[in-house]
Amino acid sequence: MNVEEALRDAMAAEVVGVQAPPSLGQAVRRRNRRHVVRFRVAGVAVLAAAAAVAVPVALTAGPGAVPDAGVLAGAGATGSGTPAASASATATGSGDTVAVPGNVVPDMVGKSAAQSDAVLKEAGYTVRVTKVVSDGAPAGTVVGQTPAPGTTAPAGAAVTIIIATAAGPAPSATAGTEGAQDPSMPQDLGDLGDGRTLGGVHVGYLPKGLEWGKWSGKDGFGKRSYTTSWVEPGLEPGMYSVQMVVYRKEAAEQFAKRLQSFAAQGAKPVEIGGRKAYLVSLSDGGERLNDGGTPTIAWTIAPGVGVEVMMSPDYAAKLGKAVADKELNKIAAGATLDK
Amino acid sequence: MTEEDEAAFDEFLAARSTALLRTAILVCGASESDAEDMVQNALEKVYRHWPRIRHDNPEAYARRVVVNGAISKARRRKVLREITFAQPPETPVESPDLGLRDVLITELRKLPARMRAVLVLRYWEDLSEAETAALLGCSVGTVKSQAARGLARVRAHMENLEGASA
Repeated sequence: MNVEEALRDAMAAEVVGVQAPPSLGQAVRRRNRRHVVRFRVAGVAVLAAAAAVAVPVALTAGPGAVPDAGVLAGAGATGSGTPAASASATATGSGDTVAVPGNVVPDMVGKSAAQSDAVLKEAGYTVRVTKVVSDGAPAGTVVGQTPAPGTTAPAGAAVTIIIATAAGPAPSATAGTEGAQDPSMPQDLGDLGDGRTLGGVHVGYLPKGLEWGKWSGKDGFGKRSYTTSWVEPGLEPGMYSVQMVVYRKEAAEQFAKRLQSFAAQGAKPVEIGGRKAYLVSLSDGGERLNDGGTPTIAWTIAPGVGVEVMMSPDYAAKLGKAVADKELNKIAAGATLDK
Repeated sequence: MTEEDEAAFDEFLAARSTALLRTAILVCGASESDAEDMVQNALEKVYRHWPRIRHDNPEAYARRVVVNGAISKARRRKVLREITFAQPPETPVESPDLGLRDVLITELRKLPARMRAVLVLRYWEDLSEAETAALLGCSVGTVKSQAARGLARVRAHMENLEGASA
């Protein structure tokens, strides 16, 4: 038998038992919905009450202290009888990454907010709530979540559930800007002029071709946070190319913790104007480093003032990774405190 | 997306998803669940652009996404493995009763990701050299040389085994 034949034969034998599951189509469509929701959320997260609900005392260790947390979560989940009870061992089996004890995140899509909150807390997660104006889903139901169902996350990790709400405050004529594209986009900060100064931070540099997204939001990312986005002309309403969040006060404290968690996850800092910044690719929830996620640069621009600039994965893909990183660096370098 | 688009997508899945999953497993050397995740990811991209690409060889598009995803995943895994184990476990415990197939698969897994992809596409998917080159975005010459080197390495082990058992 020649080697080509032998190899063909071996490969066939290797995969002969593999069949795509019948649920694949459903899974793909669900993933697709999440994708769409994610972008809406990224743009609209603003409406949000990103309320971090307290972690049960025994689980406050958080993602940093993984082994203990894993054990605790295992115990908690077994008692609860929730879908997360399958728990603990799954992450170790994949052989993909360094084993991290964690739980399988239960699928909450379609459930009510209250139910999801209870189930997730039982399973040992911190629950964050983000609201999004939804066309389809009934108000109060979960339309998306991060991390995705079926993935694993260590106990104490934050799971963000995205809850549908009825349309927000009616669009006001005072939005002022012609073509303020999406009636559901908030204008919390009023007319920002050229859209380059918000929360006391001025954006001196933006990639060529971007224009202000003509919306702005307040406190969507914790108490005192400010956000807006810039888009390529013609982008659908609710989408963003580059989004910035300025964190102050309490939100800045949360933000500082998130920066520390990036370092704990192995992110290497870069220097922006003499300060340490993290140029990372983040999971949907913005908590975890994740290849192929949302390119993000985050740093503390002044004591008590955090800034995070996200680039939409679509826009980043268009630029290419190297250029995308460079642009994020330049945006960060060009940002100054507005005197 | 019209209902007809949806139905056509379902048909496409029924016809092609198992083959894609198998290819992903072979290229990536992954567990079935990892490969499934990759295939889901690729199919989500297909689904997103379905109305546009459904008449324009969606299978080739899906295969390209799967194979490229599998290559980069395999590379990441290799890096991780090398970090995790100071000495990469390149010297597996060669159990004497490993069959020829197992030896070949083990050998296949040890090849660099791209070389493995070439072998899988050429000998499992039965793509031509030109199709393989187009899919991987390299020249036909590269496909030829990668295939030849990959086969040579597999052959060497096969002969060892045959020599040993003779």
